[in-house]
Amino acid sequence: MQLDLIAAILNKESKLDVVDALLLALIGIAIVFIVLIALMLIVTLVGKIFDSSDAMKQKHPEWGDKIANFKAKLAFWKKSTPEEEEEVTPVDAPLAKGSCGELTLVNTSDRDAAMIMAIVADETNTPLNELRFKSIKRVDDKNMEEEK
Amino acid sequence: MDVGKIIKNLWEGSGYYLFGADNGWKSIVMIIIALFFLYLGIKKKFEPLLLVGIAFGMLLTNLPAGASDKLFHADWWTVQNIDYMDILRHGGLLDILYIGVKTGVYPCLIFMGVGAMTDFGPMLSRPSSLILGAAAQGGIYLVLILAAATGMYTGGEAASISIIAGADGPTAIFLTKELAPQLLPAIAVAAYSYMALIPLLQPPFMKLLTTKKERMTVMTTQRKVSKKEKVIFPILVTIIVALLLPSVAPLLGSLMFGNLLKECGVTERLSDTAQNALMNIVTLFLGISVGATAVGSTFLSEKTIVIIVLGLAGFILATICGLLIGKLLYVISKGKINPLIGSAGVSAVPMAARVSNTVGLQYNKGNYLLMHAMGPNVAGVIGSAVAAGFLLAVFK
Repeated sequence: MQLDLIAAILNKESKLDVVDALLLALIGIAIVFIVLIALMLIVTLVGKIFDSSDAMKQKHPEWGDKIANFKAKLAFWKKSTPEEEEEVTPVDAPLAKGSCGELTLVNTSDRDAAMIMAIVADETNTPLNELRFKSIKRVDDKNMEEEK
Repeated sequence: MDVGKIIKNLWEGSGYYLFGADNGWKSIVMIIIALFFLYLGIKKKFEPLLLVGIAFGMLLTNLPAGASDKLFHADWWTVQNIDYMDILRHGGLLDILYIGVKTGVYPCLIFMGVGAMTDFGPMLSRPSSLILGAAAQGGIYLVLILAAATGMYTGGEAASISIIAGADGPTAIFLTKELAPQLLPAIAVAAYSYMALIPLLQPPFMKLLTTKKERMTVMTTQRKVSKKEKVIFPILVTIIVALLLPSVAPLLGSLMFGNLLKECGVTERLSDTAQNALMNIVTLFLGISVGATAVGSTFLSEKTIVIIVLGLAGFILATICGLLIGKLLYVISKGKINPLIGSAGVSAVPMAARVSNTVGLQYNKGNYLLMHAMGPNVAGVIGSAVAAGFLLAVFK
């Protein structure tokens, strides 16, 4: 952005006077709002595009199958050596040292679960490795509001 | 052998004697401030990672006699053309560490680490957070007017002082070293000290400006943000903002690069380094070297005191601006947005968001606002960088 015009009005060596400061403040805050509102609109737009694409996939599951088939065909043509076709058998990883059994997550992402565990540890002043979580279940927001 | 003379020489060469010399009282005042900051950092746990470093740096350089001379030379940094080669040859430890502050390298590296630690998800799921991030920048421009009203500062100086209200240490250093390098010690100390004191500064105004009902508002989670959106966001912001305000490209570019490392999913090692090892090293260097610049003989001046007062006013005004727009959003959203998250629009990440969460919990146990407040908080980082870009474009 060319702000040379404003810069030219201000003498950089002299003291800034209140009128100039007021003018700059108005332009400055307007620019901050314009940039962040533009970002807000772009973020909203990108979000809507992704949401509608997910909704389309749910509405037309056959499209998803077609895309998957297409991807599989592409992958087949890309494979050049037979070694790459070897299937890797998943191996159950041993539990991490210090962990205590397994945690069941119901409608809860790993990130949310980690946050909840951290909050519980903080609130109870108990180190995380001394706590045992068996299951974390997300209660639907609507149900919570009804219970209230 | 004159034992009396030896003892006299020993006494006169000691730091205790020099406390009584010219400006000795200034060293005592600075040591008391350093001890107070250490108390706040260690005992009260006010951002100890920052405050302990700043306070100890301050303590070291305010001890009279040889101790401070071997560490830091404040007068070397006030000249127009700094001789970096000479500093590397003859400088003390803190002189060498301070090069990163003076050249603006640390702020960019800190932003890279902050980016790698930041989850823009809450902001992407609730884009209106960006408005709160913009609102809190009102503090910056109000302080610009206040600084002009004192009649003491040039445009560049007033702009550098005003950026303290952004509650963003790296941005404050970046802007000040360009526009008013002579004020860097006072501005850096004020910015970082107030950032550390956010848990003390914000709650009274949060309680004053909101009703109990507003504070108890429970916010629900918004839409789930996909990984692709999180990857696209830093790239988009870099292109859009850096094209508009090129002067802020190093800062914002570093922030977004750090975030891209985190989100792209193929650079875990780099992301881990940026948010842990690199961030810790730079915080360590930045804290102690910024604190070291607060040497009593030059620091305790009328201009510094006015800067400290304006900085405090800036933090308060930024908090108020964020809260007022938060209240407006509360009304517009028909009570779905807790106005307490407005104060998190100041960009001290994640301190301001934590304060919103803590105050929210005081009035409604189980009302965790942290993730909701992170939206305005990270938006504030972008907002203060944009504000700095504007001021740089005007005054540089």
